[in-house]
Amino acid sequence: MPAFIVHLIHTLFPKTVLFPDILLIDLGLVVGGIGLFIFMTKTHRWGWLWREWLTTVDHKRIAVLYLIAAIVMLFRGGIDAEMIRAQLALPGTHFMPAIQYDEVFTTHGTIMIFFMGMPFIFALFNAVVPLMIGARDVAFPRINAMSYWLFACGAILFNISFIIGGSPDAGWTAYPPYTGLAFNPGPGENYYFLALIIAGIGTTMTGINFLVTTVRMRAPGMTLMRMPLFIWSAMVTSALVLFAFPPLTVALAMSLFDRLFGSSFFTLGHGGMPMMYVNLFWLFGHPEVYILVIPLFGVFSEVVATFSKKQLFGYPIMVASILAIMFLSYGTWVHHFFTMGAGPGVNVFFGLSTMLIAIPTGVKIFNWIFTMWGGRIQFTVAMLYQLAFIPTFVIGGATGVMLAAVPADYQFHNSYFVIAHFHNVIIGGTLFGLLSGLYYWWPKMFGSKLNEKQGRVAFWLFFIGFWVTFSPQYLLGLKGMTRRLYTYPAGLGWHELNVISTVGALIMGAGFVALVFNIVWTLVYGERDLTGDPWDGRTLEWSLPSPVPEYNFARVPVVHARDAWWDMKQKGQSLAQLSPEDVHDIEMPRNTPVPFLLGVAFFVVGFALTFKWWPIAGIGLAGVFAIIIFSGFDYEDHHHLKAEVVRKTEASLGRLQG
Amino acid sequence: MAHSETELTISEAYERDNDRALKFLKPRFHEEKFPMTQILGYIGSLILTFAAYFLVINRVLPSIALLAVILTLAVMQGALQLGVFMHVREGRGLAWQLIPLYLVFLIALGMVGMSVWIMLFKSGVS
Ligand code: HEM
Ligand SMILES: [Cu+2]
Repeated sequence: MPAFIVHLIHTLFPKTVLFPDILLIDLGLVVGGIGLFIFMTKTHRWGWLWREWLTTVDHKRIAVLYLIAAIVMLFRGGIDAEMIRAQLALPGTHFMPAIQYDEVFTTHGTIMIFFMGMPFIFALFNAVVPLMIGARDVAFPRINAMSYWLFACGAILFNISFIIGGSPDAGWTAYPPYTGLAFNPGPGENYYFLALIIAGIGTTMTGINFLVTTVRMRAPGMTLMRMPLFIWSAMVTSALVLFAFPPLTVALAMSLFDRLFGSSFFTLGHGGMPMMYVNLFWLFGHPEVYILVIPLFGVFSEVVATFSKKQLFGYPIMVASILAIMFLSYGTWVHHFFTMGAGPGVNVFFGLSTMLIAIPTGVKIFNWIFTMWGGRIQFTVAMLYQLAFIPTFVIGGATGVMLAAVPADYQFHNSYFVIAHFHNVIIGGTLFGLLSGLYYWWPKMFGSKLNEKQGRVAFWLFFIGFWVTFSPQYLLGLKGMTRRLYTYPAGLGWHELNVISTVGALIMGAGFVALVFNIVWTLVYGERDLTGDPWDGRTLEWSLPSPVPEYNFARVPVVHARDAWWDMKQKGQSLAQLSPEDVHDIEMPRNTPVPFLLGVAFFVVGFALTFKWWPIAGIGLAGVFAIIIFSGFDYEDHHHLKAEVVRKTEASLGRLQG
Repeated sequence: MAHSETELTISEAYERDNDRALKFLKPRFHEEKFPMTQILGYIGSLILTFAAYFLVINRVLPSIALLAVILTLAVMQGALQLGVFMHVREGRGLAWQLIPLYLVFLIALGMVGMSVWIMLFKSGVS
């Protein structure tokens, strides 16, 4: 064999990717890939895939794409989590080698935050934001598709690291100097930095897109104070994305420069300053945790009003508190590195500003409770998640305030107490919120309700599993167990608690299986919802048939009140009965391969840079520029849907008079 | 109702053309066949970037002067980006541009200022 091929094989498949379990996965992927290819070819679905999905710019389809990615990533991150718990269940275990353990906790955290949480949130944004504000699409549909494909390209790049070249192993925070070449020469950290930079570009564009959409695309009459709270949360989240991602991109790019081009921003020698990375990372990182939870505040505000059959309590205060959280979340980032020792002045300032956030958050909790107060509560699965969220999130917030007390944090920092805190807020807030939103809007996205009985099973498994997993971890933290720990000796009193925690993780795993079963069962046997409004909803998306036609609104609605659809129903008006003269030609964005190809080109750049194949990276970069320039001169980006076609569609849905 | 002198909308005030400060900020919407401004702006921004890079790499200036020059270049770069690519002078009018701009400056200065404050700690030991 020529020498360079041998060399290539050694680079792509070093020892760290040749563990038996990984080889087994390789085999599974190859067999599955071939099977899928044969299936697609036999059933002639490639053209369908290309026309309907890969080139689509329709926000409703992009939402489905995000959702599929998020659930696949929840699976991947969940497997990582089970592996971590298997390793930690008993003292002195060697379930997997230490290096693999480091890789698994790194990919777990990174995937759950960037490739599960974010796309799941964007799935909900794409699925409902335009429908709720009475718009026909987002402000920039093509950029929306680009965002998706950049995210997908980053996610794939990150996920293949464990079978090609080796995974990153420096934690989801990737602190230098450990990420520097001196300590970490393999391609793993390159994968991390490149994947996050590429996905981050996509996320930033999504932020801009939804900011413009919510500011500029609302139906006539929908003033700011008439926007549903989910729209407020989308607007605020987008603003947070817009300001939070640049520091991250800068920090990642500087780390990448240190690794690829020999600069020394964060190295130990040559005047580098590793702590500056930590500062920049958390300048992004704290707003990021609010990016992960504010959208779900929005979801809960919609869910609680719908299923309590009452208007949301204290709407203006809800808006004010969400804005307060947005501003305050920029002034707290040092609480992640109090122990750096920036001095009492700095630490006290940031300790207090952190505690301050608990106030608007508490206000929101009270408002949700008062919304339920005296309402006729329907215990749907979406509402169950809301009810589980309140106590879970309150306890997570309370332990957060404990962490914000600086002297105490010198003890808590880097212990399992922190792990328990953030899972408490991220699972209790983000995951429960995402699932609540999934059950709530599934009928709008797919045209049938998710089976409620099965949903309840999944809910209880998740809820109980969560508490069994994470409450022992608070105690473990107090008993001195540090995070990112490979193994521990017997006799420290950690043994029983770790066993309980692993049992809890298995229960949550069962919850995931129940969720997937629920989804698949509903897709096969689900009963079609013909009303379009199965929950007796309050906001505009429920005025449309499910699934929603391509153009969303045949006639753009005029909004007269806060819960616009509820108001229309009260007044006996309905969007359902259009007269034919109300329907005009509709300008729609045209499908385009540009976003998909851009993702491919970025993937080439990312993969080539990971292994420092400069010429290939150059070709990929040329591709990126060529596609962007082509797109700039592509004036055929929209088409007119004829009024006749719209009338026909509406008539077939029984929504046209005469 | 006829418009009195005090009831001018912003765009009408621009139309009056007699206030020179307003005239300077008048919103402009123009299309060009060839994006000359943008190309020049692009080249300009590259020049500003590489100027800063070479000043640091070659160390021609004493530290304080270097810092001052780099900061000046950064401000110029920001102004160029806003003016050429971010359409500050176009749009619906002054008020729509200034409020977000103030916000941006506030947040950016807060981030930079506080980062400097944080990173000025005396030693790694505490
Ligand atoms: C009342 C609100 C909150 C307070 C006072 C608070 C406080 C804190 C503090 C002080 C830490 C640092 C602990 C240490 O490393 O020693 C921390 C870590 C963390 N918090 Fe919170 N927090 C709050 C809410 C949230 C929310 C809503 C989320 C996410 C949805 C969140 C996610 C996280 C994460 C991910 C970490 C750990 C990051 C890491 O080191 O890997 N927190 N929190
Ligand atoms: Cu934080």
